[in-house]
Amino acid sequence: MSTMPTNTVPTITVFIEPDNETLRFERVKTVLLLQSRLGLRVNDALVIRGDMLLTPDCRLADGDEIRIRKVISTG
Amino acid sequence: MKCRKCKAPAEISLPSHNTACCRACFAEYFTGQVDKAIRHHGLINPGERVLVALSGGKDSLSLMLELSRQGYDVTGLHVDLGIPVSSAAARAKVENFCTARGLKLRVVELIAEGLPIPDVKQYIHRPICSACGKIKRHWFNRVALEDGFQVLATGHNLDDEVARLFANTLRWDAGYLSDQGPCLAAESGFARKIKPLYRLTEFETACYAFLNGIEIHTAPCPYSSGATFTGHKKLWSDLEYTSPGTKIAFYDGFLKRGRPAFAQVDRDQGRAVAPCTTCASPTSTGVCGVCRLKIAVTERRAADPDRQTDPDRQ
Repeated sequence: MSTMPTNTVPTITVFIEPDNETLRFERVKTVLLLQSRLGLRVNDALVIRGDMLLTPDCRLADGDEIRIRKVISTG
Repeated sequence: MKCRKCKAPAEISLPSHNTACCRACFAEYFTGQVDKAIRHHGLINPGERVLVALSGGKDSLSLMLELSRQGYDVTGLHVDLGIPVSSAAARAKVENFCTARGLKLRVVELIAEGLPIPDVKQYIHRPICSACGKIKRHWFNRVALEDGFQVLATGHNLDDEVARLFANTLRWDAGYLSDQGPCLAAESGFARKIKPLYRLTEFETACYAFLNGIEIHTAPCPYSSGATFTGHKKLWSDLEYTSPGTKIAFYDGFLKRGRPAFAQVDRDQGRAVAPCTTCASPTSTGVCGVCRLKIAVTERRAADPDRQTDPDRQ
């Protein structure tokens, strides 16, 4: 009896502040690529995993939960 | 990416400085930038009491924490604007921050002062951000003088300062261009105003707040949608991206070469200032702008039939 191969796509979950929006991205391997997908420049937002800040070259892994905290104050 | 100084894994990338930092070296960098601003511009003298304006955002709370760590005698001042939901949330962040760190705090409630911002928005036909800013500056200065503080510190960062300078330059507003900078000397009923974070960007203050576990108020003001400064900041973000270092070069250049010229114009054309006949705050118009706002709001509120029939809204 054979089992069907399971093809799981690497996915990360992103919570965006202050918009309070949750998004999911597939095949995003680095912080720089994530920022690009979100239309953000390097220093437009903090990229947070757990209690650590991530630099643009950091690699992202399947199942990562990332917080994006935009930094431009609006009044 | 590694910390340029100690080679540990970096957490903060700073393209404007062509560098990256770990959290320990970033803390040193942040402290150094604030210390440099204070020493270079004589912002705080030994023994002076400093009143720090606290909005609940990352900049003001970071400033309060950093000044207290550097040993300055600081007291926070929060102006509760009286905006439903938003103001209570911001005030809670400020109060929790000060309580947790044993820092002194004063709160001014605009509802108690008869000038809540929702009423100003309803009854005064001018941009609300302008009126709100005027009211907050009035109370910052008033509390500083009445309570014997020599210095009033605000959390304006480099992005704030560049956006403001840009707006003033677009209008060639000689009055504002004459005194914009990290230190505005005390004179004519005004406390000395200082901006110790002027060398640091919003990104850097946001990193500092995060790394120090500061819980900040992040929700935007419900009245500030489309504020001009926000648009200017985005414009400057584009410039900084293509030419790292442009912001600080523009601002430092202004301080060295632009401001002195405008200061001379202001000395030649400046208007005399005297105490407001109502509240004693300095003004060039007899009754100060905030007292005039309060009179107008009070009159229009009293004449508003909706407010007379709904006591809950008084």
